[in-house]
Amino acid sequence: MKRIETSIDKVKTDIRDFYNPVLHHFMVINAVDLGEKIEVQWFFCDYAHPCEITAFCTQIQPDIEIPSIRDIVSSAWVAEAELVDLMNIKIENTPKGFVLEPDFESGPLRKKK
Amino acid sequence: MGKQYEIPLGAQHISLLEPLHFKFTTENEKIVDTTANIFYVHRGIEQACCSKFKFRQVSFVVGRVCGLCSISHSTAYSQVAEKLVKIEIPRRAKYLRMLVIELDRIHSHLLCLSHVAENSGFEALFMKTMQYREFSMELLEAVCGNRIQYDFSIVGGVARDLKPAVGQMILERLKKFKPQLDELVDIYENNWTLSLKNKGAGAITKEDAMRLNVVGPFARAAGLAIDVRNETEDLLPWKEVGFEMVLDTAGDVHARNMVRLHELYVSMRIIENIIARLPESALITETKAFPDGEAVVRIEAPRGELFYYAKGNKTQVLERLKIKAPTFSNVSAMVEAFKGNEYGSVPAIIASYDPCLSCTSR
Repeated sequence: MKRIETSIDKVKTDIRDFYNPVLHHFMVINAVDLGEKIEVQWFFCDYAHPCEITAFCTQIQPDIEIPSIRDIVSSAWVAEAELVDLMNIKIENTPKGFVLEPDFESGPLRKKK
Repeated sequence: MGKQYEIPLGAQHISLLEPLHFKFTTENEKIVDTTANIFYVHRGIEQACCSKFKFRQVSFVVGRVCGLCSISHSTAYSQVAEKLVKIEIPRRAKYLRMLVIELDRIHSHLLCLSHVAENSGFEALFMKTMQYREFSMELLEAVCGNRIQYDFSIVGGVARDLKPAVGQMILERLKKFKPQLDELVDIYENNWTLSLKNKGAGAITKEDAMRLNVVGPFARAAGLAIDVRNETEDLLPWKEVGFEMVLDTAGDVHARNMVRLHELYVSMRIIENIIARLPESALITETKAFPDGEAVVRIEAPRGELFYYAKGNKTQVLERLKIKAPTFSNVSAMVEAFKGNEYGSVPAIIASYDPCLSCTSR
């Protein structure tokens, strides 16, 4: 797995520069609760070299809104909606309530303090 | 423009195997827009795997994510855990994992095909397909001890060996299944009534499949060559046992049926080769290491690419486990492929997606 460390300000530009739907397969967005921060990871692989998995990684404060990539990867809305509900991350233009019921406890995958 | 009607379908509906809700906007019976809600069965399995269970127990837990592709989940998890504890499993264990994955693919594809037939109004074909599928369930029970939820792949290798008599039984039953599969291919390909329902229904193009990152038979039926078995030689040597990718171009329900049927021939060939070339070695690599670092693994489940991410912290309990099921990748395309189709084709189109909501919601 090739990790590309980026920042919240640059991640969308980096993904836009990298992603070509004919060459790259978008897999999923993952988040890991590190305690004080959350690491968000956007996973892609290459159709021509499928064993090469590229992950754009950035660490964010839990209350920061991250940019949506659905204007670059049109199928990313499902993964973004999942992160909003399960990790209680704020994502641009992504409401709560797609994966869990709107009144469900937010962020069940976050570590309990 | 005609009057538009909104028609809800699900979450409980006779054409659905699992809870799934669509809202179709129709105009003169043609679908012009669709929304979907697929997350009715979230069970918190990822969280349980990172809090309640030790990493060696997790392969049994993730086997319960899905009743149909249990072996894909437990194998993918075992592989990602083996990366974290830095071990290589014995070759015999790799071969046996591939054997059960392919037996599982046979039963899963036949279940999907039967369901497409049923939702297309062809009940006799549904019953015939289910009748022919039974042999694969019996073989899975003979190999693993269970018809579903096999608990076969464990961290370090596999839990059971293949007895020579069972290997012989598999070969005999495959030989008997071959003409039955030929018969099914003939019916699914040439039956006039089924063609009317399935040809052109729920079609997507290769470009759309790429744009929407579709996986599995759904993608391959549209001509997008994506099959993890073609790619991950380092973990399971698929090409050694005769894997070949099956592709179609039409991208409709009929093409998905054809891809699944022809993949059954490939699965049979792989199983025969595995039994003929089964290496002699131990079944498990022992280790006392704890998982450390992060790793990802992809595996080709019957519905497509299954993705596992795990992060360890040198303790018995994982820091994070992420599961991305094939249906999760296909949601966007599932919604788009309805557009322009007759409302009456919806049940067959849904069945042809072969959605697995248990996997998707976890």
